[in-house]
Amino acid sequence: MVMLLCDFHIHTKYSDGSVELGRVVDLYGQAGFDVISITDHVVNGDNPIGKLAHRFRLSVTAENFDEYIANVKYEAERAWSKYEMLVVPGVEISKNYITPEKSAHILIIDIKEFIPACLNYEKIFLEAKQQDTLIVACHPHYLSEFGRDTLFLWNNRDKYAKYIDAWEIANRDDVFNVISLKKYPYIASSDFHRTRHLYSWKTLLNCEKNTGSVKQCIRHNKGVAITLFRN
Amino acid sequence: MEIFYVFAGITIFGLICYGLQIWAVRSTLKEDKKVRGSEDGNASTSQLFNFSSSQFQFPPVSILKPLKGLDDNLFDNLASFCAQDYPEYEIIFSLQDHNDPAFKVVRKIRDKYPEKDISVIVERCDLGLNPKVNNLIPAYKASKYELILISDSNVMVGNNYLKAITKHMQDPDVGLVSNMIRGIGGRTIGSILENLHLNSFIAGSVCFLDKFLKMPCVIGKSMLMRKRDLEVISGFKAVKDVLAEDYVIGKRMHGIGKKVVLSNYAVNNVNEYWGIRRFINRHTRWGKLRWRLGGIKYLSELIGNPVFMASLPVLLWEPSKITISFALLVSFLKVLGDSYLGTLIYDTENRRSGESPIHPFTHSPIHYLLSPIKDIIIGFIWFVPILSNTVVWRGSRYIIGRNSVLSPMPESNIWAWRYRVADAIKARLA
Repeated sequence: MVMLLCDFHIHTKYSDGSVELGRVVDLYGQAGFDVISITDHVVNGDNPIGKLAHRFRLSVTAENFDEYIANVKYEAERAWSKYEMLVVPGVEISKNYITPEKSAHILIIDIKEFIPACLNYEKIFLEAKQQDTLIVACHPHYLSEFGRDTLFLWNNRDKYAKYIDAWEIANRDDVFNVISLKKYPYIASSDFHRTRHLYSWKTLLNCEKNTGSVKQCIRHNKGVAITLFRN
Repeated sequence: MEIFYVFAGITIFGLICYGLQIWAVRSTLKEDKKVRGSEDGNASTSQLFNFSSSQFQFPPVSILKPLKGLDDNLFDNLASFCAQDYPEYEIIFSLQDHNDPAFKVVRKIRDKYPEKDISVIVERCDLGLNPKVNNLIPAYKASKYELILISDSNVMVGNNYLKAITKHMQDPDVGLVSNMIRGIGGRTIGSILENLHLNSFIAGSVCFLDKFLKMPCVIGKSMLMRKRDLEVISGFKAVKDVLAEDYVIGKRMHGIGKKVVLSNYAVNNVNEYWGIRRFINRHTRWGKLRWRLGGIKYLSELIGNPVFMASLPVLLWEPSKITISFALLVSFLKVLGDSYLGTLIYDTENRRSGESPIHPFTHSPIHYLLSPIKDIIIGFIWFVPILSNTVVWRGSRYIIGRNSVLSPMPESNIWAWRYRVADAIKARLA
């Protein structure tokens, strides 16, 4: 079986990405990808940072969530018929605070119903579990770039690891080797915001090309590899 | 003030040359209409390309596609070759290694078109210094048919492309058919500049050389030829160490008395997400190439850049009312000229005949306002080849010699040290 080339962390103009949804799908389809997940931000609006994100429409909200999912599904059908590429709807629950120690970003892949980012962590995880989504802790360790450090989940991993299906072991150009030391399930993603981010770390999966198999493969952490995708 | 008059004179001469280029493009594109001649406005596609009026049996063609990395729109580019309305042809995708990201795309294409004769060859070949030729040699060996078509991976064509170009092979004296190119798909500043340049300077120069000077100026995006003619000019081995293999093949073909035809069927060169640096790098490399190929004739490119010539007095001497007004007037004329050329090129017969697929994203009229800026950048780039005779290609540095013959950069001597120091400084700055 040929390994599936996957990217599970992609932003579009629905939040702070610079490329429209349809073009993102085409960009990945033209590059031969097998599975992608569109994961625009759902930001907590309970503090000034979140309020700003909502003000500048950098977040998917309860109001436009249905439209967002409908458009992702429309693009998913187009991507399947044209490129045989699986597109899975998702969000990135972004709990932003001033310090990285308090902040956490969580990918909820294969989401069906809106989950507000203002809920506490347990409630978010339980809601996500109820929808049978794949829960991924993203960029959980120190990054070189200012503003993307989200250390809360890693610092509290003893408490939260039971809810988390996988951890991002590589994000764009950064690798968090501490995740492999702890033997957690892992994926690698581009955290795509701009076209140049297409060239970054990616996940390879040895499974069937359908959402169920993909989720199972990641959760079981078997047949998972990462690759640095370069031109 | 005398300086201004000198530059104004050169600029006016450049504008006249530019006018001739527009005329050449127009005249090249009009040839289809001549073919159509007495046909009425409802001419079918076959009539447009004069397929039905001849006894020409479309011969089978081997399409050789050398691939390296991901080009913009790669999937659709390759798929467009699988949708040809043509009786018999094979496509050979050729790569140097399995880890190339294009390999995955090619496999998907093969799966999507199981009814087509598609082969994928992955073979490392280090026969020469030109990586494209190295990539072509294994594909050429595997090709089945007498007619071979070499086509770059960033080219997208309509479904009548093969018919439109093979018709030229009715004439046994024709040795090579190349095509007009139109840049499409610009979504970033770099790619818009690239497409503007392709649709003005490159299209204009190629048609001008073909129409007025009868000089073969082959661009390797699309080259159709017979194997036996290629063998007469010593095959790919003759160009394995040459940077401009397309130009040299055209020149050699012309040298053995074969006709080199510029088809008015415009192929789409898709450039969507280029950065400005890539645009500058490419045209610096192409400039070096033309400098080594053309020698003193390279000067005509500077004279033929009216916007740059009109801007020099403003940039280097006095920004007075008259110099600024003149530069603005010339820029305005260039914007108008480029818009007209763009309209001509986008509206070619193959597009009007309702072919598909055509990339939906062409140029917005507002993009042409960038044309003078592009010309000024190109004007400054013009000087680089005179100062440097080396190119970095696919990660290796080469010295370009006469006729664009490549030689590896020496490991020792002052030249090597010069670049080592430059690289060290760049690395520190990065």
